[in-house]
Amino acid sequence: MVVSLKRRNGFADFCYWIWDGLERTVFIGTKFSFPARFVSPFGFLGMLTFVTFIILGITGALLMFYYQPILDRSWDSVAKINNVVPFGFAIRNIHYHASNAMVLLAVLHMYYQYFSGRYKIRNEIIWVTGVVLGTVTILEAFTGYDIIFSERAELAISIAASLTNSMPVVGPTIRDAMFGSGFFDFILRFYTLHVFILPIVMLGLMAVHMPRFLVFDVPMVMAITGAILVTGGVFPVDLGSKFQPTVPPGITVPEWYLTGIYAFLRTQYDKFVTGVLWPGLFIVAIAMTPFIDRYKKFSWKDRPIITAFGITGIAQVMVTTYWGFYITPDTTKPLVARLVIDPIFFYLVMLLLVPIGFGFSYMMISLAKESERKAKLAAAKAPHKVSTINFSGKWINWLIVALLLFQIFLDIAAYNAALSGMKNFNLFLTGLILMSFAGMFHLYRHGLNEAKKAPAAPPQPQTEPKSLGGSEPPATAPPKEETSGKPTLPPAAVAPEISAATLDDIKDPTIGKSDLRNP
Amino acid sequence: MSEPDTRGTVTRRDFLRLLGAAGVATAFVPFVPWGKFMPNPSNIVPSKVQVVLPDGTVANVKTFPKNSSEVITYPSSGDPVIDQEAFKKWQFIRLPEELGGGVDDVSAFRVYSMVCLHLWCLWKYWPQEGRKRGECPCHGSMYNPLTGKAFAGPASLQAPPSNVLATLYLEADNNGDLWIKPATWSTNANGVVGYGRFLKT
Repeated sequence: MVVSLKRRNGFADFCYWIWDGLERTVFIGTKFSFPARFVSPFGFLGMLTFVTFIILGITGALLMFYYQPILDRSWDSVAKINNVVPFGFAIRNIHYHASNAMVLLAVLHMYYQYFSGRYKIRNEIIWVTGVVLGTVTILEAFTGYDIIFSERAELAISIAASLTNSMPVVGPTIRDAMFGSGFFDFILRFYTLHVFILPIVMLGLMAVHMPRFLVFDVPMVMAITGAILVTGGVFPVDLGSKFQPTVPPGITVPEWYLTGIYAFLRTQYDKFVTGVLWPGLFIVAIAMTPFIDRYKKFSWKDRPIITAFGITGIAQVMVTTYWGFYITPDTTKPLVARLVIDPIFFYLVMLLLVPIGFGFSYMMISLAKESERKAKLAAAKAPHKVSTINFSGKWINWLIVALLLFQIFLDIAAYNAALSGMKNFNLFLTGLILMSFAGMFHLYRHGLNEAKKAPAAPPQPQTEPKSLGGSEPPATAPPKEETSGKPTLPPAAVAPEISAATLDDIKDPTIGKSDLRNP
Repeated sequence: MSEPDTRGTVTRRDFLRLLGAAGVATAFVPFVPWGKFMPNPSNIVPSKVQVVLPDGTVANVKTFPKNSSEVITYPSSGDPVIDQEAFKKWQFIRLPEELGGGVDDVSAFRVYSMVCLHLWCLWKYWPQEGRKRGECPCHGSMYNPLTGKAFAGPASLQAPPSNVLATLYLEADNNGDLWIKPATWSTNANGVVGYGRFLKT
């Protein structure tokens, strides 16, 4: 990214000075890398989660300017933010959808680490803090959607308070201490938890959870941010109806990350067991995985039992999540018949998912191993072919220009939408702008790489070519597997993957590549 | 190490450690009751007040319609915001004719806490033919309007006292206006909101 600054001006020098100064801080242990090419986002889902956390921090701080944590005013203040305050609609929707994105990304992040066995090699602390962090994230999202104090929020707060109350021995004390005496306290205390205590706890956990190597991929960050905005534009979150104690609410389900617990609660068994113990056991089981997993290998294919447990867990989470949502639309049935889930049926399905999950994992592992074997055979027979999209430098430039023009068009359209009061369309277009910026940045970075790689036309006798633009970022992604974006310039037909890539990376243009390849 | 065997004896070093531990403990003991900072108990003393309906009028045995309900607030704090508390909300029910709602005295009325005993959602009374019971919208608990006892749904599966709603006892004056008798928040009297009440047999 920084390599483009051929001529250093004062400002760039200043930035480098700051960057270098960070070496004396706690950040010395952290290595940031800004990948110079596309890398799979699965590897840095944690960073994306963190980015949504930052987005939530910023939008949340903005919302605090208007929000009032008072029993009969909170809903009205949110309504004011949504309807009256300029761009309040956008801020609120970004905050809401970023919270969903954060929970989703955190869950995906966890499962990716789970199946790739990253919690091994002394990463146990990172894993356990990550699980706690995920739980706190859900609590944070939960307290967030409660302080709107709509009907649904009121029911959610009641359930949270009474579940806390249901804990044996310590429950009532914790409830009194944390929740206060009634809704007037609940809302204020949930607010305190939501905007201060839980974020501080999360930051503390993050300080422990952060690995030392961090990837900050600008296009992917922008694409995710854009996706959050686009979702906000397409599915703007509603206000719900203001809670009025004289009007008992209708049937309501919680947010999607809690419907799993809700399904358990709906089976009518003891509320402590279904609402606290089962979720707690699930979380503890996940947290204990590194200490249970004794396999020496990392890949999910080589750890069949752990993979099968993971798949079963995912299947159960998905089924309960859907089941928690599902309420038969037949209003002629009595409420209890619509709401209560038959526990025998429910737990039977949960049990049935275990053999299904194990069987599915077994099938997937066999298939994967089979295809691996075939790929090996094929590689032995014929060289590996990679088909790439190759644009000439000229076309890359034209594409960037086209994207720029598209962005200008979208800028105008977004402003026009804002002027004419189409708030959600404005949000949608803004998200689209961020996404097209992501595309543009990727193209730009690709173009830069290509420009660097292009052979210096005539081979001149030049000894020190890299003296000027010496600002090679030390942390760019390891250039090992750079086969995909490579132009097929060298006429030597096929390149065996890794060795060819490292040869390509030799920057000295005096060395003929073909010479090296055919020694 | 230097001493041959110190088992069963207290060395100077152990004694110092004990003193140190005692010092730490005594230094932090005064903070234990500071935990009282967190709960925020209500200090309203329940008193005898009239049954004030949401429209501001006083409920009367002669005029209040049969087989219907209203939401009343008790005990009122005087602060309109705090009075919106769900824990201060009660379903004020006049029973249907067949359950004894026809007579023009206190026995035709019931008052139950609106906070469902299961997970504290707010239930309400449904007067429709075939229902005539309290139903909770969250998990489907149903309450008998005669006694306040849950007869279906998760609340009915909870052990006593958590299967009977807290209640308020009423009395009528000569005009037929209804009054709430001062409540005692214990499971053997009015019950505890959100926790329950022992049903007297």
